[in-house]
Amino acid sequence: MSANDVLDVLNVQRDDLTQPAKKKARSEAAPAPKSGISRELYNLIGANTPPILVNMGNNRMKDRKLRVSPWTKMPFVPNERAGKAPTLHHWEKGAKELLMETSKDKPYYFDKFVVSVDIPEMVDEELFNQFMVEIKERQKQMAQKFKTSLHNKVEAQKANPLGASSALTVKKEDAPTVVKEEPTKDDSVKEASGETPLVSSNGKEPTELADQQETEAENKPLEAIDAMDVDEEEASGPLPWTYEETKLLFEFCKNFELKWFVINDRFPLKYGRSLEDLKEQFYAMCLMIMTHKSIGNPSLIDSLKAFLKPAEIERKHYLLNLLKRTPSEIAEESLLVIEARRFEIAAKKMLMERANLLSLLDLPQAALSVQQYQSSQGLGNLYSQLMIMDKNQRKKSQQKVLQMASDPVPPPIPVAASSLHKRDFQTHLQQYLSGYLKQQPQRPEDSAIQQLLSKKLTAKEEEAYGLFYHANERINPGVILRSTQRLSGLQQRQSVFRAVNNMLQELDIPTAGGTAWKPNMPTRKTMAKYDELTKAVVALLEVKKVKDKLEAEIELIKSQRELR
Amino acid sequence: MSTNAGPVYAGDEINALVLDPGTYTTRIGYSGDDFPKTIVPSLYAKDEDNSIHFDASLDYAKTKRQVLPILKDSLIEDWEGAVAQYRHYFDDVLKVDYEEQPILITEPVWGTTEYRQKLIETFYEEFNFPALYLAKTPSCVSFQQGRLTCLVVDIGHDSVSVTPVVDGICLLRNLMKTHYAGLFLNDQIKDTLVSSFSKLDLSPTYKIKTKTAVEYPLAAQYVARDLPESITESYDQTQQRRIFTEAKELLLETPEKRLNSSNAQQAAAYKEELKKEENERTMEAPLGQVFNTCLERFAWADLLFDPASYPFKDQSLADKYLPNSGELSLSSPYDDYRPIKRARKGETGPATPTPAPDSADPNKIRGLSQLVNHAISNIDIDLRTAIASTIIVTGGSSMIPQLNDRLNAELLSANPALKIKIHASGTSLERTTQAWMGGSVLASLGTFHQMWVSKAEYEEAGAERILTQRFR
Ligand SMILES: Nc1ncnc2c1ncn2[C@@H]1O[C@H](COP(=O)(O)OP(=O)(O)OP(=O)(O)O)[C@@H](O)[C@H]1O
Ligand SMILES: [Mg+2]
Repeated sequence: MSANDVLDVLNVQRDDLTQPAKKKARSEAAPAPKSGISRELYNLIGANTPPILVNMGNNRMKDRKLRVSPWTKMPFVPNERAGKAPTLHHWEKGAKELLMETSKDKPYYFDKFVVSVDIPEMVDEELFNQFMVEIKERQKQMAQKFKTSLHNKVEAQKANPLGASSALTVKKEDAPTVVKEEPTKDDSVKEASGETPLVSSNGKEPTELADQQETEAENKPLEAIDAMDVDEEEASGPLPWTYEETKLLFEFCKNFELKWFVINDRFPLKYGRSLEDLKEQFYAMCLMIMTHKSIGNPSLIDSLKAFLKPAEIERKHYLLNLLKRTPSEIAEESLLVIEARRFEIAAKKMLMERANLLSLLDLPQAALSVQQYQSSQGLGNLYSQLMIMDKNQRKKSQQKVLQMASDPVPPPIPVAASSLHKRDFQTHLQQYLSGYLKQQPQRPEDSAIQQLLSKKLTAKEEEAYGLFYHANERINPGVILRSTQRLSGLQQRQSVFRAVNNMLQELDIPTAGGTAWKPNMPTRKTMAKYDELTKAVVALLEVKKVKDKLEAEIELIKSQRELR
Repeated sequence: MSTNAGPVYAGDEINALVLDPGTYTTRIGYSGDDFPKTIVPSLYAKDEDNSIHFDASLDYAKTKRQVLPILKDSLIEDWEGAVAQYRHYFDDVLKVDYEEQPILITEPVWGTTEYRQKLIETFYEEFNFPALYLAKTPSCVSFQQGRLTCLVVDIGHDSVSVTPVVDGICLLRNLMKTHYAGLFLNDQIKDTLVSSFSKLDLSPTYKIKTKTAVEYPLAAQYVARDLPESITESYDQTQQRRIFTEAKELLLETPEKRLNSSNAQQAAAYKEELKKEENERTMEAPLGQVFNTCLERFAWADLLFDPASYPFKDQSLADKYLPNSGELSLSSPYDDYRPIKRARKGETGPATPTPAPDSADPNKIRGLSQLVNHAISNIDIDLRTAIASTIIVTGGSSMIPQLNDRLNAELLSANPALKIKIHASGTSLERTTQAWMGGSVLASLGTFHQMWVSKAEYEEAGAERILTQRFR
């Protein structure tokens, strides 16, 4: 049963000719032999083919999508070179045969992430002993130097309590140099393994140190030195580093990728080494090995040299004290910091003002001024600006005329220097100066406009030049076309507006047409009149509306009365 | 590995097994999943004929059936039960294909070298996995949270432990551990119920057939069930444990401050303040007696913070919990013998993070906050700020309401100059499975697969080397 049969039963006439030719062409092209239910369904749609393209499954795109791409469970051996690695299984995309071919001698994808740190090889025992002697010598020297420098500082500080802050800054310089060196060294040694805990924690220290309270700085150094004395005695005391221990240390450094906290945690307790001991020995030994074999870049060697255990310990003392502050101390400190900030800001502001003033005094901005006033907008700006200045100046000059006479003559300042974009920075002095300049009889660059302005114009002349004083109107900067001017009379509702327009058309008043409804010749006077006119019309229409309403009401009441 | 997706998240699914044995529950599942396939109590039922049963059998009352714990203090104690349990779940429930999948096992930080060796060897021997890996629980937790440098506070069933983790590696020497955790709470609750609710019948559910709810001081009205003869003590205890667990999850709430502060007057005032009707909670015992708690429930939660103030009334329980300061005289697997006491008089305080014990009172009892605080103050100063601002609280017992707030407040007041921040994930299920999830994350990373240790490698390299360098 086709759609036509249905239409036949329903007695609906159908005119085949009304079908557009294009559609027919398409339905002719489509007929693929259908069978079964789909044919019946298709017939129900009838000749009136819907605008959708019915996909009957002969689409090649779809076929392609339906094809499943094979995944194969493949065995693989991670880090095969290490030997004895287990065989694991994961799923890979692709046919088994293909994968077998390609992956035969390809290393596991993630093997390239297996990296280890680059640490110099430990030397043999003989060389080690030789090195140790040298290291000890060098350390002694450095520690001595550090101690004397510290002592000096403390002494200086004691002698001159006011200079405490300077001593503090010197100290600050000391600690961070060590700190800064370390990360660079770590980086270069570690290379591939991205994160360095040392960097992150150390990076903060200089600022933290800067927060250090001065009082603490005064007390601490002595303690630190005392601690160092003890330490040094120990270092030179019973347990120097043996070959085995150092070898173990190098092994640990390699295994734990120079993560010092972990190395310190796992290093056998029986040796009783602190984190600093470990670092000192490792860095010193690395330095010796590198210079001996002349490997490693100079900056790395320099930073290795810079490591100093007493300085490290002292730095930690400072940090520790920082953490020991009580809440009230912290509050006080933050108050101080805020205060300091405020001072800083004030100082900055003053400097800026001074700089502005200076630039104002010696920088004539001649090049700018010509360009700027060639456009009509520039002229407008200049004009309004001059008017303002004129007003200011007149007021001031009345008061200060006498004083000014005795002032020395300042260097000439171009008009552009006080142009609008500088208004923000105009100081009193600047205003005063520009005002004063106005008073000068011979100006080097009097423009025609200024001459014109200085003349007293008659009303007629003003009219002719199109000059107009906006007494108490507010004017927006920039150029406005009078035809687009916003007249107060035109601020009406749309419906009222339409009525006004009709009225004007009735009265045969020419307008620019369209939606603008403006006079063809928008001079100031016409515009003013036009404004007046629209307002009058609006008022009239309003009156008429009220009148109509009242009349209607009267009618209503009358008719009601009559009915009664 | 799909060549496109692989490098993006560095994952490579190999379907490894992840086993996280805890004292309370054991969690087993596949790597890459976000939740374990099975979470089962760490118990096994042993019948008279020595046959071992799991699952529903644990709750089924049978003549002379014993229900025994497999772990103690997070370490496997009963190897027979452990192997039987794992075999049961591997073979019967998960249907594991041993040849194809390696297994990752989480272990606590305090396992001795002998224990770890035994664990590895048992697994190689009993199961045919191609490879295995031991991951430390705090490391796993840090991986789960994606914070590789942190302080992991695990409030579990048998123990509270505090472990600093740096770059995903645990610092063994800074570990602190006490036993004031879930089981301790159970025993305390039992102690209080027995002593102050003397008319409360604490018989477990399996003994009754029907019951009627009554207000507490009244005697219970119930009909007993017919039970087989000679039910073992261990079965009864396990069943009774549920009452305390339920009480724990239902009633507990952490008070804002210590209930027993040194200022007796203040303490009394605070207690008075808490004794409000809105703070009262009721619970129904298995026999139908409904009892009312108010101050008790605050006191129970306060226990974790101040265990010293709540001595047991039952002497046998008191003997079970010796005073515990959390200090461990742990020799790491790297120390082959105990350290010689060297006269290091000038032990330069901050430079050496090795905990200097409060030698004044070695038996001092440390509550949760003191424990964490002590751990923080023992950490190297360069690490301290980083660690203090990432404190991860995990473990089932940390789910007690307001526990984190109290911990945070006490840590802040103890360390005004440090920025303290506590991270704790939402649901209770997540807190108990965090370690498992971390293991699951680890075992599905492509870069991790080089870490697996096969039996051949283990035999070649030797236990010591593998334990100190691979399973670190
Ligand atoms: N909502 C809760 N409130 C209080 N306690 C809870 C809550 N949920 C679980 N617990 C308790 O947490 C403990 C289990 O915690 P968890 O699963 O972390 O321990 P575990 O890992 O098996 O043991 P452990 O870490 O000691 O070896 C149990 O004592 C349990 O009663
Ligand atoms: Mg646990």
